Amino acid sequence: MTVRQPYGSVPTRRDFLRGGLSLAALAGIGPILSACGSDDDSGVADDGTVTITMWHGQNEQGKETIDKIVANFQSKNPKIKVDASSGGVLADAMLQKITTALSGGSYPDIAYIFGPDIASVARSPKVANLQSFITPPEAKWDDFFPAARDAVTVDGKVHGFPALIDNLCVAYNKKVFKDAGVPEPTESWTWDEFVATAKRLTDPGKGIFGTGWPADGGEDCVWRIYPMIWDLGGAIVDDSGRKVGFDNDTGLKALRTVHQLGADKSAYPDTKPGSETMYQIFNSNKMGMIATGPWQLPAILEAKVDYGVVPLPSYSGQRVTIAGPDTWTVFDNGSARVKAAVEFLQFVTAADQDVQWATQAGSLPLRKSTSESAEWKQHLQSTVGLDVFSNALGYARTRPTIRNYPRISQPLGQAITKMVLNQGTPEEALQAAVQAANAALAAG
Amino acid sequence: MGIELRAAVVSREAASRRRPPARRRFGEAGTAWAYILPACVVILGLGILPMAWSLILSLQRSDLIAPAEWVGLQNYDLLSHDPAFRAAVGHTLIYTALFVPLSIVGGLGLALLLNRKIRFIGVYRTLVFVPFVISATAQGVLFSFIFDSHFGLANAVLHWFDIPPQGFFADKNQALYLLVLIGLWSGVGFCVVVYLAGLQDIQSDLVEAAALDGAGRWATFRYVVWPALRPITVFLVVWETLQALQVFDLVFVTTRGGPLESTTVVVFYVWQQAFEFFNAGYAAAAAYVLAFGLLLLSIGVRFARRRDHEVVSRP
Repeated sequence: MTVRQPYGSVPTRRDFLRGGLSLAALAGIGPILSACGSDDDSGVADDGTVTITMWHGQNEQGKETIDKIVANFQSKNPKIKVDASSGGVLADAMLQKITTALSGGSYPDIAYIFGPDIASVARSPKVANLQSFITPPEAKWDDFFPAARDAVTVDGKVHGFPALIDNLCVAYNKKVFKDAGVPEPTESWTWDEFVATAKRLTDPGKGIFGTGWPADGGEDCVWRIYPMIWDLGGAIVDDSGRKVGFDNDTGLKALRTVHQLGADKSAYPDTKPGSETMYQIFNSNKMGMIATGPWQLPAILEAKVDYGVVPLPSYSGQRVTIAGPDTWTVFDNGSARVKAAVEFLQFVTAADQDVQWATQAGSLPLRKSTSESAEWKQHLQSTVGLDVFSNALGYARTRPTIRNYPRISQPLGQAITKMVLNQGTPEEALQAAVQAANAALAAG
Repeated sequence: MGIELRAAVVSREAASRRRPPARRRFGEAGTAWAYILPACVVILGLGILPMAWSLILSLQRSDLIAPAEWVGLQNYDLLSHDPAFRAAVGHTLIYTALFVPLSIVGGLGLALLLNRKIRFIGVYRTLVFVPFVISATAQGVLFSFIFDSHFGLANAVLHWFDIPPQGFFADKNQALYLLVLIGLWSGVGFCVVVYLAGLQDIQSDLVEAAALDGAGRWATFRYVVWPALRPITVFLVVWETLQALQVFDLVFVTTRGGPLESTTVVVFYVWQQAFEFFNAGYAAAAAYVLAFGLLLLSIGVRFARRRDHEVVSRP
């Protein structure tokens, strides 16, 4: 250390710095250069192989199934290389990730976008329009359930493929019903019966609730009320698209039903984001009924709960439920890559893979033909209540794909939370929600 | 190392004698720039540029997805009339007004208790600091289970003392104060550690001299310990205030601004506007209002400190 090295034999400090600087400059500018260079031909090799990127946002079982489907596709289509990863996030955080990616100008070809988010994402000119790909009869577009098709269509334009579909039915805990001496619900029951049953099941001394409702004001709190509004003849937005469609008796009656649950203290209000606690209470035999989707069945089975599933109650006697479909949204990275992405998604949603995805990832078939296939019918035998969810797909409706949807959901969520927590009247809550939502819709 | 450095300086001087002065200055400055450039790039790229970009964003109507539209100061104008934003500012101020004094008083009290030679003192000090190390997310999850209105531990304990069950996070009149409490659980640990360091810096002969002069415990604290801790206290007030005004993670995990928007703080409001409603421009404006508040606070503290120094240095 103390002996000075003679100049010449080792690089001088300046040489060293200069070298380091140019390296740093390269490292810093490199990504920018490559981002600028992305044009229509990127991802297409000289031999015609197209590479597409997919952010699926899945982990565990979902990721395993996707990986299998990708490997299968790869072996049949050597000309398309699918680079599938979670995208570094789970599906819950995909919207933020994709927003950042879009504003940064470097985005995947396919991403897993939640149904309510697609309208916002589709404002980007970088989202592909798939109309020309889905019109030919061989695309079998009409074979998808209506709710699944609606979920990927914004302003009449198709921007992706259905990725997953579910719907709400009511799971009930047979033990809780038996202990309370209450008869189990039937297929054709009403919301009044639901409220009365919840009240009879509730036993504060034993810490037992009739049912539960998320009270965090989030989307999981809100979407449960739409089947009630639809059943009564209301809508989320009216035909003009400038006003909500529940500013009438439909919204009021639905809120009154929730209010009754709150006033009876028969619904556990889950104020924690994610509604996990609500389901844990059900699974530990402390809750009688819960409106839920098929995704909850594995956890109920694992908890060894003796349960049954019935469709949602109704006011009018007609069957109504809501589907919360998710989408494989396609982004435009040049026509060759869009075409490859569509080809890949056709494969993912084709009959064989549809069954595979629905059975292994614990969801429902996207296609009508799949739901009638022997393989699916056999799978239905394996899980109690899955058939009820599968049948409900036929009549399930979905939220409108409008950009301002979060501006309706947020105030309505506050109104519902007030009802669940038994604060204020349904009239006041509805008025406040309608006012806020209409103001946002009118502003465009 | 020292000799090598000196050797380098000597050789530099020797070399520079042979060069014209202008070239020398440029060469020196060039080397200096080369040394600080990496840091400059990092600060520019990760600090200054995003700040400038969000300032521009705050003057636009933008959702980060579709092309933006220039609206001038309209976002700020809307903000000034937005009752939801006003409520968020109110919640943030209540949180700060409670959190800062309580964390400092609590931190000082605990530090005084822990600043003595008793058995297992190391264990106690560690235990007090542990909550600070736990991430706010983990704390949030932990406490949202403890304070569950129906199945939580807190109500079970209250039941023991015959106190009726509380709503906690299901009660809009309690949720914000509960957040302060959770914030304190971890925030106090930091104050304790900083105060402990300060206390151990106080020379023992000062304390002994005070004792010889007949000062009691309170007088020693008032005239010896407290003046010595003053600069630390100023630092802690500033630091804790900055933390409190920017609270987000705790709110995000436990309440998401609920119940009934009783815990929406400013940063949560910014997040909600940007990523739930896609009002990125509006959110940036709200963020800038907060940043402006923080800036004013820092300037105010600087002035207060300068005056403080003048007072102290006056003979």
